[in-house]
Amino acid sequence: MALLSIRNVFKSYFLHGKRIDVLRGVSLDIERGSLVSMIGASGAGKSTFLHVLGTLDAPAAGEVFFDGRSVFAMNDAEIAEFRNHSIGFVFQSHYLLPEFTALENVAMPALIQRRDRGGAYTYARELLERVGLGARVDHRPGELSGGEAQRVALARALVLKPALLLADEPTGNLDPTTGEGIHQLLREVNRDLGITAVVVTHNETLARSMPRRLRLAGGQVSEA
Amino acid sequence: MHPAERQTVYRWSFIWTGALVALVGAILLGVAITESAAWAETAGALGLSLVGWGGLVQAVDALALVPERAAAALPIAGPRMLIAGVLVWLGGWGLVAAGIRRRPASSEGPSPAAGAPLYPRLARYRDFYWSTLGAYGGGILLAELVLILLQTFLSSGGPSPELGGASRASSGGGLALAPTVAFAIALCSASLVAFISGFVGASRAQRLSLPEATIGVVYLGIPVPVILTLMERIPSLQLALGYRLREVTYVAGLIGRPELAYWLVFTALVLALVLGINTGFIAAGSGRVDLKLGFELFVARRHVAVFRPSLLLGTLAVLMFGIIPPLLVYFIIRGAEAAVERTRVRALGMADPLAAAAAQNHMKQHEQSPTMMMTALSVGGVGVGVMALIIVLSVMSGFEADLQQKILGTNAHAVVNKYASEMPEYAKVMEQIRKVPGVVGETPFIINQVMIASEGNVDGVVIKGIDPATVGEVTDLPQNILPGGDLAHLEHPDRILPRRGLDDDGAPPKDEELDPIIGTPAKGKAQPTLPGIIIGRELAASLRVVVGDRVNVVSPLGTELGPTGPIPKSRAYRVAGIFYSGMYEYDSKFVYILLKEAQDFFNVKGATGIELKVADIDDARRISNQVVKVLGGYPYRARDWGEMNKNLFSALRLEKLVMGIILSIIIVVAAGLIVATVIMLVLEKRKEISVLKALGVPDGGIVKIFLAEGLQIGVAGGLLGLFSGLSWCVFIEKVGIKLDPEVYYIPALPVRIEPVQTALAVVIAVLVTYLASIYPALKASSVEPVEGLKAE
Ligand SMILES: Nc1ncnc2c1ncn2[C@@H]1O[C@H](COP(=O)(O)OP(=O)(O)O)[C@@H](O)[C@H]1O
Ligand SMILES: [Mg+2]
Repeated sequence: MALLSIRNVFKSYFLHGKRIDVLRGVSLDIERGSLVSMIGASGAGKSTFLHVLGTLDAPAAGEVFFDGRSVFAMNDAEIAEFRNHSIGFVFQSHYLLPEFTALENVAMPALIQRRDRGGAYTYARELLERVGLGARVDHRPGELSGGEAQRVALARALVLKPALLLADEPTGNLDPTTGEGIHQLLREVNRDLGITAVVVTHNETLARSMPRRLRLAGGQVSEA
Repeated sequence: MHPAERQTVYRWSFIWTGALVALVGAILLGVAITESAAWAETAGALGLSLVGWGGLVQAVDALALVPERAAAALPIAGPRMLIAGVLVWLGGWGLVAAGIRRRPASSEGPSPAAGAPLYPRLARYRDFYWSTLGAYGGGILLAELVLILLQTFLSSGGPSPELGGASRASSGGGLALAPTVAFAIALCSASLVAFISGFVGASRAQRLSLPEATIGVVYLGIPVPVILTLMERIPSLQLALGYRLREVTYVAGLIGRPELAYWLVFTALVLALVLGINTGFIAAGSGRVDLKLGFELFVARRHVAVFRPSLLLGTLAVLMFGIIPPLLVYFIIRGAEAAVERTRVRALGMADPLAAAAAQNHMKQHEQSPTMMMTALSVGGVGVGVMALIIVLSVMSGFEADLQQKILGTNAHAVVNKYASEMPEYAKVMEQIRKVPGVVGETPFIINQVMIASEGNVDGVVIKGIDPATVGEVTDLPQNILPGGDLAHLEHPDRILPRRGLDDDGAPPKDEELDPIIGTPAKGKAQPTLPGIIIGRELAASLRVVVGDRVNVVSPLGTELGPTGPIPKSRAYRVAGIFYSGMYEYDSKFVYILLKEAQDFFNVKGATGIELKVADIDDARRISNQVVKVLGGYPYRARDWGEMNKNLFSALRLEKLVMGIILSIIIVVAAGLIVATVIMLVLEKRKEISVLKALGVPDGGIVKIFLAEGLQIGVAGGLLGLFSGLSWCVFIEKVGIKLDPEVYYIPALPVRIEPVQTALAVVIAVLVTYLASIYPALKASSVEPVEGLKAE
């Protein structure tokens, strides 16, 4: 069974009384352990699609099954737990919490679970070392460069070993070299930890390096 | 985000106009009722109409009274006014109704999603559940009933003095606790009931369910206080319920205005319900009932950081010394610091520009955000409120304690007497009373009203026959006698030194006999040994007498028949001592003579009654009930000091309560600041809320974070207020603030710090801040994850 099954998902925005149909009946399966890239023009609805996959946004119609379970049939508490346990997000901006150090930011998902703080910090430190930031654990987000912050965000997304990693243009704000580094990390994560990843990107060459490629256009998703 | 959700369109101009028109109609109706002076008849139904029960009550009432009322015309004088009022009222509501419309159906065709399964949205808060309504409404009603029943059960039991033996039969099984203790227990239990109902309701529904809460409170909660309030006004209600609710009305009556008490208690119960709802929602919002705050506090502390020494000390300084002096100090320090820093950076810049840049950066980071300023302001606001509450209430308690001490110094804690008769058997009664636990002293007395005359003046006073041997057990009279007099001289009037001229100072007291040479009584010298009398200092001043002077006591209810009818009985006494209690009332209106003298003078057998002193004055009511029980009830009765001075103390308590309410307004204003602060925080942290939600913090967790932020402000403000309030109280007590003795009869501002009341001030502040942050916290939790993530 596929890890993710998307069935007939519709999503529209309403602006000044006009309906903008962004997703028009998307149906798709994503296998466990796969590494999927998604490309599409700016404004095609890639972020919207990813938000729906990650339960951050609700579709107007349609269903998303995770491990055979309809995610939008869950109640608020279950959805929160689902986001915490099963999904890791990386966004275009790092979206780290400014009052907390890199270490605390990475440990945050574990702290939300009320895990023991010491254990969470130990693992978070390990992860930070793994993304090459062992010397930056006590920096606040404001004291990190863009690439560093993005790597901290990636570590945060991985701290609870989620089944699914959703990355929305994680390299959009970075220079090509740094971006390639992040993509390298993503590939490693997929290979070493077996985490299923969906990576939205602008960069065609980067997208081509992924085993499976999707294209979003006209509200529909097709294999590219 | 779901435009299909809202099916109605509101035209607010219609609705507001309609509301105004309806209000005018209501005013017209009111005028019509006032003109025909029909408030008394309509008040009950109108009161209930406010919560929608009026119609029902009227219908029942009308059905019951149809035969009698058939002939009676309506007593309304101005029917035209009445009809106009009703028409305007109804018209207004018609307008309101016209302002609410159904949205017209969309003209668009079917969407591409037609036929796809609709995403099932859960627990929208416009939904309405009867079970939740039952939980909330039933909860508040149950809480009220628990309060009333517990109060009645706990405090009844012993025969109440007014009803004598009659009530003993009816109040089987009561616990006979002191009414205030019973009330504390009953209120706590009822609040707990309300809290639990709210908690269960909200955690079952997994949402706040505000419509249900409002309807439940209005329809099931308000009627009880309304009925209690109306009970005073409507005789039939009083007849039906008055006796059964006497314990409830007694406690409420302790502050003089029972209505105020009913509504305050009701508010407290609603508060408990709201707290329960809120806690239940938060607890269930994270899936399971989880009241721990670990992670949320971790986040909240980074957001507001109230407990920084600089903020706490600064606010404390403002509370203690006012705004200006600390601000001056602050600016001086900051100015000096900035000057030093700037010179240092400039010097650094000469040598190492990089180091200078770092130092400059460091200085910039020191600047405070507006939210920080708001936080400090809110903490200060709460602190000021708590401080004012503590100081004012402590001073008022000081006055009350002073008054109580003076009243109880002169008066007994309780008085036992018989309905309309004397007590010849007082010695036996005293023997019995002695065995009652809690009674620590007793003394018999006779009381009467007389005129007292000296050569200089005349005054009406209360005269008391006392037993000098035991009076000290009960009152402070022996200690209050000023030097020069002696209580013991009442028994031995021959020892009183009569006043003499300055020249024959030191002459032996034997000189008091007839002048052996002239053979006629010389003024103030050659009188027979007169019985002694003790008078108050103010009375002595107005009579212009001192110890040893002679005064005449005249009883207007004389029993001696003279040629022209009954003539007032008159007797001469010699002033044996002057007392000073500190209460003008007593020092000018009380005189004491020997019990024997009084028996003789007023023709009383035994005593009028027995005065008691009890170990714990707050327990006086229960002990005096106990005494009556031991004596076998009727015809004996006992009244405690609170009852005897009911008006005075209930006025004091009411004053304190009103003062407390007024001062709490400061805290409520501060709570407004807290609302603003937390809303600012929410706006500032929108993006972070979204991120936290994406990381898997449930709605309840977000609510907890922002509640914790508000609570930090409340706790910090409350503690600062507590500290500064207590400091001020100690200052007033130790250093003293002089009062004009002519006006206050007390030399300095009295202070008495009551722990319960002080703790209550802090608890109220924390509670109010908690309530104030509920709304912003809920707002925070309703931020959708995508909202913050797209804001870039
Ligand atoms: N909240 C919104 N309200 C109205 N339109 C929106 C909103 N969010 C996104 N859109 C529109 O939906 C479309 C898809 O947006 P998005 O998913 O962010 O595109 P992408 O990530 O592919 O660049 C865009 O045309 C955008 O203008
Ligand atoms: Mg995008």
